[in-house]
Amino acid sequence: MSPTRIFSTVLFLFLVFAVQESAISIIHFPITGFSLYVAVAISLIASEDHNGSLVMGFLSGIVLDLSPTSNSAFGQWALVFTVIGYIFAVNKESIADLTSSPITFVILVAIGTSAAFLLDLGIGALLGEENGSMNHNLVVSFGNGFWSIIFAPFFLPGLRFARRFSLTSKER
Amino acid sequence: MTKGTGSRSRLLLIVLVVTALFFITLDLRGVSLTSGSRSITQTLLAPVQKSVSAVFAPVGRFFSDVANFGSITSQLNQLKSENSSLKSQLIVNSDIKAESRQLRSVLDLAGRGSYRVVPARVIGRGTSSSFSQTITLDVGSSSGIKRNMSVISDHGLVGLVKNVTRSSSIVLLMSDPTFKVGVKIARSQSVGVLSGQGDDTYSLVLLDPAGIIHVGDYLVTNGSEMNRPFVPGVPTGLVTSVVNSAVSLTQTATVKSFSNLNALGVVGVVVAAPMMAPSVPILPTPIPTVTVLVTPSPDPSMTGIQFPAPNPSTFPSPSPSHSPSTSPSFKK
Repeated sequence: MSPTRIFSTVLFLFLVFAVQESAISIIHFPITGFSLYVAVAISLIASEDHNGSLVMGFLSGIVLDLSPTSNSAFGQWALVFTVIGYIFAVNKESIADLTSSPITFVILVAIGTSAAFLLDLGIGALLGEENGSMNHNLVVSFGNGFWSIIFAPFFLPGLRFARRFSLTSKER
Repeated sequence: MTKGTGSRSRLLLIVLVVTALFFITLDLRGVSLTSGSRSITQTLLAPVQKSVSAVFAPVGRFFSDVANFGSITSQLNQLKSENSSLKSQLIVNSDIKAESRQLRSVLDLAGRGSYRVVPARVIGRGTSSSFSQTITLDVGSSSGIKRNMSVISDHGLVGLVKNVTRSSSIVLLMSDPTFKVGVKIARSQSVGVLSGQGDDTYSLVLLDPAGIIHVGDYLVTNGSEMNRPFVPGVPTGLVTSVVNSAVSLTQTATVKSFSNLNALGVVGVVVAAPMMAPSVPILPTPIPTVTVLVTPSPDPSMTGIQFPAPNPSTFPSPSPSHSPSTSPSFKK
């Protein structure tokens, strides 16, 4: 990833983060909340190549760690998304492309979203965080995955366009 | 993955994981760099949240109404039946209405208005990207808000201020799993600890081994030293079920909050508490038990009716120093 692309991606992630914190988080969704940011981050991670997935994971985690409402340790989300990025990177060949099989891609994004929350929960537990009842946390994790399936088809085309726009000629 | 790409990826993974662990270690050791970066984000985000929340608030309320549609319908039916029952009671109680209002005003004067509150609008919620339960308010240190101040709604306790910038503050809601508040049962004054559980229910652990919790008991905050973080006397919830365990020394209970934390629009931050703890909760409004005493005739033996002596304990005392001689009584 070129430095220009890293910079533009971080700016874009900040924009999504601002939308998440100021608009999406106000809406009281049934079942549980929806994290647009996590879904977008997972989509970006899934769209990148091997090293790109890792870097994208780390960057999107760092931006989420800046969330003032977060109770978790700074760097925890970076670790979570780096691990998710690694999982996507090593399974790159078997992961579907958005254009060739969009439904599979959407399902992968939803699974990745739930996995990110569960991983955060696990790392949080290792670090001694109190996260409440397991039932509620499972509802939050899988509820986010559910909402990602619903909303991903709406934002993925725009995301694909934005990504293509940010690619350098060499990366294309 | 080819061999070269694979080793590069692994090296990159190790570097990134070590960096993340380095940040976590710094944060857990309390290095101000990490908390400072979050404060900067909050400062930058607050104006955006303020303007966007004005536009998005109706959308948020719409989803909230849709989510609570079932409970609203049952609540409406319940209120309708309560309303018709109250209407019939109103006719019966018309005689003592004026006296009741007067007594209520006296109790309100004693109980209410002792806290100095800064009103605030809820401009953000922080539940969807983490397991913590927080809200963001549009007031900050410029309005006199400081860390660890109690936040109340029109029904009772909401949470406490966790972070403050100049123009905004983040409130840790009482439903957060890390939230704990000392409470006492209004009926028996037994003290316990109320904990959030991440959802709509709360857990109460009584500290008094001899104390007994009843379903329907009202809980109020016990208060903290120098009234920070919690001011005393604020209603927190209602006991919905009691758990009796043979292995536990004290009773535990499940509690329902007075405040609906999913539909908070305007809240108040308690910036100054009264010098003395209020003897009656400020919210919800206490409903006094009115006893009507009939003035005895000069010679009761003439009528054969025995008149009871006035019992001051039938009136809630507005303050500890309230002597029985000053308790209000009504003559008919």
